[in-house]
Amino acid sequence: MGTSFDISYVFDYFVKLLPYIRITLTIVGCSLLIGLGIGLLVALPRMYRIPVLQRFSQVYVSFFRGTPILIQLFLFYYGMPEMLKLIHIDVTKVPALYFVIFAYALHTGAFLSESIRGAVGAVDRGQVEAAYAVGMTGYQAFGRIVLPQALGIAIPVFANLVIAVLKDTSLAFSLGIMELTGKSQTLPTMSQHFFEAYLSLALIYFIISIALEKLFFAVERRLLRYEGDRDRDGRAASGRKWLNRRFSGRLELQKEGARP
Amino acid sequence: MKLDPAFIWTAFIELLSAIPTTLEIAGVSVLCGILIGTAVALVRIYRVPVLHPIASAYVTFIRGTPMLTHLLLILFGLPMLIDAVAESLGIPFRSVSIPMIGFVYISFSITEGAYMSEVVRSGMLAVNRGQIEAAYAVGMTTPQALRRIVFPQAFAAALPNLSNSAIGMLHATTLAFAASVVDINAKAQIVAATNWKFFEAYLAAALLFWGLTFLIERLTALLEKRINSYNRGGVA
Amino acid sequence: MIRLTQIRKSFGRNEVLKGIDLTVRKGEVVAILGPSGSGKTTLLRCINYLERPSDGEIEIGELRVKCKHPSKQEIHRLRGKSAMVFQQYNLFKHKTAAENVMEGLVVVQKVPKEEARKRSVELLEKVGLGAKLDAYPSQLSGGQQQRVGIARALALNPEVILFDEPTSALDPELVGEVLAVIRKIAKEGITMIIVTHEMNFAQEVANRVVFMDQGAVVEEGAPNELFRSPKEERTRQFLQRMTPEAVYSI
Repeated sequence: MGTSFDISYVFDYFVKLLPYIRITLTIVGCSLLIGLGIGLLVALPRMYRIPVLQRFSQVYVSFFRGTPILIQLFLFYYGMPEMLKLIHIDVTKVPALYFVIFAYALHTGAFLSESIRGAVGAVDRGQVEAAYAVGMTGYQAFGRIVLPQALGIAIPVFANLVIAVLKDTSLAFSLGIMELTGKSQTLPTMSQHFFEAYLSLALIYFIISIALEKLFFAVERRLLRYEGDRDRDGRAASGRKWLNRRFSGRLELQKEGARP
Repeated sequence: MKLDPAFIWTAFIELLSAIPTTLEIAGVSVLCGILIGTAVALVRIYRVPVLHPIASAYVTFIRGTPMLTHLLLILFGLPMLIDAVAESLGIPFRSVSIPMIGFVYISFSITEGAYMSEVVRSGMLAVNRGQIEAAYAVGMTTPQALRRIVFPQAFAAALPNLSNSAIGMLHATTLAFAASVVDINAKAQIVAATNWKFFEAYLAAALLFWGLTFLIERLTALLEKRINSYNRGGVA
Repeated sequence: MIRLTQIRKSFGRNEVLKGIDLTVRKGEVVAILGPSGSGKTTLLRCINYLERPSDGEIEIGELRVKCKHPSKQEIHRLRGKSAMVFQQYNLFKHKTAAENVMEGLVVVQKVPKEEARKRSVELLEKVGLGAKLDAYPSQLSGGQQQRVGIARALALNPEVILFDEPTSALDPELVGEVLAVIRKIAKEGITMIIVTHEMNFAQEVANRVVFMDQGAVVEEGAPNELFRSPKEERTRQFLQRMTPEAVYSI
């Protein structure tokens, strides 16, 4: 836009953007943590088929998966203060960041509850029966047998969700949050080298995504080490199965997150 | 400021006019995405030399970065590139004459292509190896085997992911506001700003998206049922 | 002693157990035979409440449970008095062979870890898997997994071990090693109820054989009697269908 490409700006902006990783990761971390709580809470009524509550969590999950995260952000930003005013809580002085985190947490919670349900459902029924047969109580069977196995199964899906949330946070700028994307739009106002700024922005996101993926892969390998050896024996069938599982895990991304 | 339920309805009616734009963006991107995705998937599955690492890098990069950055890069980078090329060739064409929505199509298709390639790839890997061997055994060539045997089965296997990807794209069209295109989201903003009823306007937009998502899900379920009735045949 | 009184079980309108009475004395080995769908597995699974009987009474040792409205504690105590060996082994996938055997001891019976480990090693050696203590189930063959399953059941020192078709999922060449282990522990006077399709094995190892069909006990008796001269027509037909093949397969 009038200016020609200048690589030195890419480096310059890259360095200037680095400090804002902190805010982006804060949003990701907080919304995941809260989302995990919400997700578990919402998954339970559906797993145990608790009448009325089951219906509620169904509607919740359907709404937050059925509408764009950007719309949800606006909805909370404008709607929450008014809703809270009805019960006489004044939040006009609360920073926008909190609303943003809350919206992301609810959004993530919906996807997480589905992954939790999926992973728990994927644990072989025989495992629970065996736990009961050795005399465990329901809680013991869940805590010692089902949960550890479900965790291993859920890791690839969870990894994708984390990366999806990371990417989704790029929308927080639209509510004036100065995270990575927000900063990348104000940095070049003087120089007009927008393209270079966005290039360094993309690079930073890319590096974080790859790092997260590597991290989760290591965690998965550790959690699923009990499944490992057969693959290494070079059994084609199970090797392929493992590959497919990786894939279908990754594919959850389509389902598990809006892509912005 | 009090909640105005009647305005939700008013906003809803106004938003309806933006549906075609939203669906156009989503439709074009999904279609182009499937084409790009299939090509990329084939390149990766058959490990075509030279193209194979490029395809992998493309998919990894797109999936590792937010869609918004793709749009911004295209919006700011592509005109620069076009103008530079046109200038050096002495063509009078300038990027200003390209409508903004064109950049949206290009950017979203590139994004969708990467995601679709994974959908197509896993669909194709889900097809039993024996199927293609049987196709070769009756004398088919590879393109014949792909077209007549693998793709139909892969489509059935990939349908749920395909539908999810389409829903993802539908939701992602809300980013078009960054290119000043008036889709449902941008329209909601306009409606809200003129009346100062933001919450009501966005609630209407949310309901509209919810409905459209539901529609896609129902259509997929119908399609799935049809396909599966072919698949199951008469046995058990 | 185990006593089942008038055990009934329905799935919807389909009654699969039509009032079963069965008594097993301490140290006795009882084999339950019958065609598939006869309800024998369901009966076995009712004993430790993996299947919820609709009516009847279960008595193990001094514990008596009325099946209509059992409390959670009663179910829990019932399970504490029995152990089960599954058709699909159902070893805990994320635990090694030794940990599988220890799990019930540590979690349910609150045995200290070192002691449980010692016990686990002893038992795994007994079933011939002293070299596989730290192997995960995915690294073991079907026969080895089932032997771990048996060790896991033995570890609990239960009043009765319930065997649910312990060899049905195994490749033919692996059946022998599992049967050998069961045979060995049968001689030690442990009370066992075995649902099986292995006729010869049942005849050899059981003190008593129960033949079930269509949710009812058709006939029961000493193995030699029942196999040589069944009183009921249905038993005779079943044995005729089963034995010719079974006799020569082992």
